[in-house]
Amino acid sequence: MFSEGLIRPGNLPILPRFMISVRTPFRLPSLWVLRAFLVVALAGGLGGCGNDPHPKPLHTKREDGTPWVVRYAYMPDDPRSLDPQFAYDQMSRLLLEPVYDTLLEYHRFKTDPFEVVPCQLEKMPERVKNADGTEDYVCRLKKGILFHDDKCFPDGKGREVTVRDVEYAWKRIVDPKVECPALAPLEEYVVGMEEAYEEAKKSGNFDYSKPFKGFEVVDDQTFRIHLLKAYPQILYWMAMHFTCPVAREAVEYYDGKEHPDGPGGQIVQRPAFQWHPVGTGAFMFDYYEPASRARLIRNPHYATETFPSDGIPPENVEELRPYFGHTLPIVDEAQITVFREQTPIPILFRQGYLDNMGVNKDAFNKVVTSSRDITPEYKARGVTMEKEVDVSTFFTTFNMQDKVVGPNKKLRQALSCSYDTQSFVDIFWNGVAPAAQQLMPPGFFGYDANYRNPYGFNLEKARKLLEEAGYPGGIDPATHLPLELTIDAAASGSEERQMTEFMQKQFEQLGIKVKVIENTFANLLAKEDNGNFQILYGTGWGADYPDPENFYMLFYSHNFPPKGKNAALYKNPEFDRIFEKMATMDNTPERLECVNQLRTILAEDCPQLFEFHKAFYGVSQPWAGHTKTNMMLEGGLKYARVDVAMRERLRKEWNQTPTWPIALAVIGIIFAGGYAVQLNRKRND
Amino acid sequence: MTSYIIRRLLYCVPILFGVMLITFVLFFIVQPPRARARAILGEKATPQQIDDWLHKHEYDKPLPKLFVSQTWKLVTFNFGLSDKTNRPIAKTFIDGAVPSLCLTVPAFIAGFFMAVGASLYLVLIRYSALDRFGVFVCVALMSIPPMVYMFIGQSALALHFAYFPAYGFEIRGFSTAKFLLLPVALIVVMHFGYDVRMYRTIFLEEITQDYVRTAFSKGVSQLRVLFVHVLKNGMISLITLVVTSLPALIMGSILVENFFGIPGLGNALVHAIQTGDAAMVNALVYLGALLYLGSLLLTDILYAVADPRIRLS
Repeated sequence: MFSEGLIRPGNLPILPRFMISVRTPFRLPSLWVLRAFLVVALAGGLGGCGNDPHPKPLHTKREDGTPWVVRYAYMPDDPRSLDPQFAYDQMSRLLLEPVYDTLLEYHRFKTDPFEVVPCQLEKMPERVKNADGTEDYVCRLKKGILFHDDKCFPDGKGREVTVRDVEYAWKRIVDPKVECPALAPLEEYVVGMEEAYEEAKKSGNFDYSKPFKGFEVVDDQTFRIHLLKAYPQILYWMAMHFTCPVAREAVEYYDGKEHPDGPGGQIVQRPAFQWHPVGTGAFMFDYYEPASRARLIRNPHYATETFPSDGIPPENVEELRPYFGHTLPIVDEAQITVFREQTPIPILFRQGYLDNMGVNKDAFNKVVTSSRDITPEYKARGVTMEKEVDVSTFFTTFNMQDKVVGPNKKLRQALSCSYDTQSFVDIFWNGVAPAAQQLMPPGFFGYDANYRNPYGFNLEKARKLLEEAGYPGGIDPATHLPLELTIDAAASGSEERQMTEFMQKQFEQLGIKVKVIENTFANLLAKEDNGNFQILYGTGWGADYPDPENFYMLFYSHNFPPKGKNAALYKNPEFDRIFEKMATMDNTPERLECVNQLRTILAEDCPQLFEFHKAFYGVSQPWAGHTKTNMMLEGGLKYARVDVAMRERLRKEWNQTPTWPIALAVIGIIFAGGYAVQLNRKRND
Repeated sequence: MTSYIIRRLLYCVPILFGVMLITFVLFFIVQPPRARARAILGEKATPQQIDDWLHKHEYDKPLPKLFVSQTWKLVTFNFGLSDKTNRPIAKTFIDGAVPSLCLTVPAFIAGFFMAVGASLYLVLIRYSALDRFGVFVCVALMSIPPMVYMFIGQSALALHFAYFPAYGFEIRGFSTAKFLLLPVALIVVMHFGYDVRMYRTIFLEEITQDYVRTAFSKGVSQLRVLFVHVLKNGMISLITLVVTSLPALIMGSILVENFFGIPGLGNALVHAIQTGDAAMVNALVYLGALLYLGSLLLTDILYAVADPRIRLS
């Protein structure tokens, strides 16, 4: 509300000073001329601007005259860094992995189970078991791999990758200034890593000229990784960008300082290496603008890999046959838009300006029917849908050192039985995410889709177990009052609050009382570190690599927080023994037996209540042929394909601009003008 | 005048100190740096990495020392690097100011002229049925929350009518205009109801003045009276109203920037708050406060310049 009396500050009388001006007053153009101009400008502006939000592609045609193919992708946030030894968030990986090829790589199509195959290496590394318990991995680089053409190299031409570049990358893992997240998991296994790190930390500088004990250069193509003990998971680390070769020239050239690089020797600031990646991958980095967009361009010299012909899902074989052995990447350019706000994503997809999309909650009802099929509208547009299950598990953790839930296994089992995971998933995840029956998500060695958790939802059983736990009907015999439990949960929004309430209600069905403490996510993590909780809700684990060790280590007693991730503070010598044995084994039937034993122990002891594996529906436009996404692979852009002619045609069809709203606006303006003229005339009369 | 300006500048010191204290309490006491480090470095960060990060950013100092060092950084305009992206904050500010200004300056100018035009139109047809309808529309426009305009604008004009891009920004000649038309139009519409109502009242009050009656009795036409006499005299009141919205130009329109993906300062601020980037929030809030105080001072000075009867003492 506002008061009209406040308009003139001080309520001073305003004298008509301008009225007595002797100057000839400026003659305004006729209102009709102004209006006509406005209408023309409006119509011209609307008609001419178009609604394509993407910048023009670099070219329209390739050298051979065929159309230049652009793939339009997006990311829901900004990357933290594009330094391969530092970045580990998904957004960074989306931009980084197409640029940096790795020593090994996840096979694009083999997802059940996931499989690691050679990429920059000629063949899989050779595992050498030494008599003293140490192990070596002998690796041989492919010949002729070139770095991208870049200013950091002489004449701007990318040179050939050698073992020295791999060694340099491994040294960067150790360098304290780089802050590599892979250091902590690797230093326990790689010879000399911990010492080198401590030494560099003490002296304040990492000496790159000194050899690094864990990495032996055999010749220009061959190197050996020395391990302190068996650690077959090292192969998965070789499939990550942390261990991929890096050109020292690039790190030194892109120092983020001022240099006379501008036109005519003008001083300009060079980007830092972490914002100017120079790799060997199928795409070269062009630019990235924070909160806006990034562009990658085909690497014309790329020959490290071709499109695979094995492991293709049978339903896609015919469609993909023309691509078998095809050079990579298939598209020439990738434009990646950053969406900090998620609402426009479905709009741009609907208009044909994004080639694929993960269906978020805003768009769910428009794209997916209640029977979990694609809606007729999208089906008619030729859009295809695929359910993508992420390699993660969400759970609720019981504190095993808490004096109530810790020693009482039956109580934990009762709580586990009282929680209806399927209803939770139906309500909060539109029924998309699979309810978790076990710790590991699908696609892992040892994951059994038919396994059912013996302490899954069963209210009758829960009540019986609670009675056996010493709380018949939920009443604590010591106080004759309902047993009171406390859940610590993250509460960053109303939805999270509703989720916690759901859990509270589920537990309270047993007659107990549940108190909820709401925390910021950061505080919740701090409580997890300190073991300062009874029941912790709202955390999960995303796989670093698809090996049972990466999940079952969450209950290994040597991994207590804050250093490790055993948040439940679970300690079971039997579990530890089997885990230690399983961790270093190859994927044999014996290992499968071990994994199954671990699963049974965890189900019985219930240190965690397994909730769900994150999943979503992915939709693709008819021109962007889609096959199931490999969730371990963020560099899959090189396999993406696009039918440009179809996209062009459908975009035009889907984005027709109607003229009637403009006509309506023009009529409105004319009417308003006419009305004023008429009224004016009447009043003057 | 000089003593007034000096006094006003001195008033700014406690205000700025208060601003710095509040942001410090929010980002260093309510949410301790260790918790933010966890959120920034990710769930899988080790205690060693967190300690290193805290040490590198000097967040492991005791609170009073930390407050002094943070305040010193702001006062000396040495903002350092963003906690989240490691990019220089000064660069983020300069990079963000351009898109923000691209959005808000046209919106400000177009909004002003359109509101003045529309309010003069309503004054021209004053007390008629269409005038009353116009006022009703203005009240309706004022009552609708900004988010509704953005949703409707995006889904109707961008999605269904396909006139504008639904998202994105690019500084490149005509294509910049293509991205800005819709957000600018929406900002104009968001303020339109309030402004037109306000200006209409000013002009109506002006039109009852004696000089207007004199003009009419001398046979001057309606249009001329409105556009020449009333408009000029009403301007003094308008200037004071309009200048107070100047600081919002630089900080951008937070909601609209975020919604349409315009990489301006408003967008940067929202993102910094969401990601717990204290260094960025501190700097942006401090600069925002500085600009706000500066333009308030400018308002008073401009007011005195526009109307010599007002003395600042």
